[in-house]
Amino acid sequence: MRRARRPRVRAVVVRRVVMTLGVAALVAAVAAAVGGIGSGGAARRAAEPASQLALALPALPQSPRPAFTPHAPVLLQRSRTEARWAPVARSAVARHSPRADAATVTALSPTTPDGTTNIVAVLREQASARGLWALVRLPVLPNGSVGWVPRSALGGYGFTRTRLFIDRAHFDATLFRNGRVIFRAPVGVGKLDSPTPPGEFYIRERLTTLESPFYGPIAFGTNARSEQLTDWPGGGFIGIHGTNEPELLPGRVSHGCVRLRNDDLLRLARLLPVGTPVTIR
Amino acid sequence: MTIDEELELAQILREIDCDGALEETAAAALPRTRRDLLKAVVGAGTAAVGAMVGARGAQAAPTTSRGDTAILRFDLVLEYLQAGLYTEAERIGALTPKTLAWARVVGAHERAHVQAIKGLLGSKAVPSPSFNFRGVTEVEQPFIKTAVAFEELTGALLKWQAVRLDSREIIAAVATLHSVETRHAAWIRRIIGLQPATKAFDQPAPQRQMARLIASTHFIARRPKMTRKARPRYTG
Repeated sequence: MRRARRPRVRAVVVRRVVMTLGVAALVAAVAAAVGGIGSGGAARRAAEPASQLALALPALPQSPRPAFTPHAPVLLQRSRTEARWAPVARSAVARHSPRADAATVTALSPTTPDGTTNIVAVLREQASARGLWALVRLPVLPNGSVGWVPRSALGGYGFTRTRLFIDRAHFDATLFRNGRVIFRAPVGVGKLDSPTPPGEFYIRERLTTLESPFYGPIAFGTNARSEQLTDWPGGGFIGIHGTNEPELLPGRVSHGCVRLRNDDLLRLARLLPVGTPVTIR
Repeated sequence: MTIDEELELAQILREIDCDGALEETAAAALPRTRRDLLKAVVGAGTAAVGAMVGARGAQAAPTTSRGDTAILRFDLVLEYLQAGLYTEAERIGALTPKTLAWARVVGAHERAHVQAIKGLLGSKAVPSPSFNFRGVTEVEQPFIKTAVAFEELTGALLKWQAVRLDSREIIAAVATLHSVETRHAAWIRRIIGLQPATKAFDQPAPQRQMARLIASTHFIARRPKMTRKARPRYTG
């Protein structure tokens, strides 16, 4: 029995030793393999572009700061009361309709009788096969006349957001900007035999250094014309100006012009651009 | 940039001022003689101009070289022109809704460009001239053709200028405009059915080419003379 058990015990011992050695060899091989992969991967990673960039970063020059801070988009502030005007760039004929063969309303010259650029209020435009035309207010009698002129006869457009109202019944002038009142003052208007004409007009020019106490320091010319004083020098245009008789204001005192006290006029002159639409009622 | 290059840039800016409108604008904006003002406006790069600007006290950014100033002034005039074109189109409102919507967005960008370059130039900024767009802002096809031409050439011009600028900070700033201008060009091309990008590489366009385009349009116009020292002849 004893002899029979010994060989079995020896065989078990031998098997255990062999297994232990095998496991040890396997662990050693795996360890060697893992170690090899680790060192080889690091080398490859160093060759990747991202790692190269990271290594190169300290060597790059510092980025310059842009010389200006980018602005947010600047949206256009629109106004319902915006009005358009344009200078007359060359002599032209204003017509009843936007056609070269339409009936003539009047001739337009590039300058006014006072030597300033002749401007017209532009109401709308019309493009067709016959070209581009603009409907404009005209500085002719009857007051309120409009006509079509070729766009090519006009210069660059100007825009205003101001509107001037002259109230002949209440003898006052009110200036609006973007629909808000920015100026109000008493005025003198035309006498009953030379009334200030009612209607829709525009500021056409501004004359300064007048050397004339009668007109005050500044005078604005409009495209409105007296229907009575048609032979007046310069064509009988209606102006908005100062006075040397402020005690007469407000009231019906003029030959058709709108008179303001000189200090009111100077205040208005800072706010009233040429091209502003004028309503007289 | 060499003195010769500066003088050439100055000459180019003079060329687009075919009606004397820039000179006139400067004369109105700054209290100097017309001749000196023109020199100042076009950045002639002479000692006299430098002295004059210095005498005015407020310098632009101190790092701005004379060459960079000349380039930025040209860019400012171009941005005024583009902003003016889109602003007028939006104000008149005669174009198709699709084109108007584009003009509204691009106009807001160009006005922001004007503000940025004006701020950078400070007292050396050129005042805005007066424009006459001759009906282009009122009719669809001429407007689109003009917009495409200006946007594409502006992108090409900025590429030409970038390598001529001395200041890296200004190059970095101009790069922020450049990509926007090329996007504008691609956008409007797409609206009218053209391929937004046709080439693999874009070529730069010299400043003189842009100057010729601006001069050919006659968009820069004399300011109307609406104020005069004279005794009126109104009815009184």
